[in-house]
Amino acid sequence: MSVKDEMENRLQAAFEPTELEVVDDSDSHRGHAGHDGKGESHFNVRIRAAGFAGQNRVQRHRMVHKALGDIVPRIHALALDIDV
Amino acid sequence: MTDTKTRIDETVKTNDVVLFMKGTKDMPQCGFSSKVAGVLNYIGIEYTDINVLADEDIRSGIKDYSDWPTIPQLYVKGEFVGGCDIIVEMTLSGELDGMFETNGITFDKDASNKIREANG
Repeated sequence: MSVKDEMENRLQAAFEPTELEVVDDSDSHRGHAGHDGKGESHFNVRIRAAGFAGQNRVQRHRMVHKALGDIVPRIHALALDIDV
Repeated sequence: MTDTKTRIDETVKTNDVVLFMKGTKDMPQCGFSSKVAGVLNYIGIEYTDINVLADEDIRSGIKDYSDWPTIPQLYVKGEFVGGCDIIVEMTLSGELDGMFETNGITFDKDASNKIREANG
C-alpha cells in the first residue's frame, strides 16, 4: 500500500472526515534535502472533520500526528490544513 | 529530567522567543525552517535560533519535549506556539501579532501588515 493510501485510511478511520485530501508532493521536492529519490517523502493533507471543534491549532495538529502514528517519523515533511 | 530536557527547558524559559530549526536564522537548511525564520526576520523579532542539525540530542529531545514530531518549532515565553503551518496561518490571520503584543515582544507592525497585504 502506498504511504498516501495508508495515511488516508488512518485519517478516515480516526476522524470520519467530511473532506479529506492527501497529496504526495514529493516530486516537487525532488533533488533537495529530505527527498530520498524514491518519493513518498513530502505530503500535504487537507482535512475537515467535526471532531476538531473546540481544539486549538496545536491540539488539532497533535490529533492528526497521533492518528498517523508511525508514518510521521517515516516521512520528511507533512503540511497540514485542518479545520472543522 | 534528563540533561537534554533540562537544557531545552532552560533555553525556552530564559529566552523570550526561541526557534528550533534546521540551519540558522541567516542560513536555513530546510524550506519549512526558512519560511518561519523568514517571517520572524522580516517583522524584526529578536529571537534565539537553535540549529538542531548541529546537536543530535536537541534534535530528538525537542520532539519529545514539545510532543511535536517535526522541525521547526517556535517557543514564546516558554510556551510552544507551533510549527511551520501554524506560524504561517497565525501570521496571515494576525494572531501572531496579537501573541507578540500580549507577551510584550516588540516587532515591526508595518512589516507584518505588508506580509498580509502581499498574501491577502
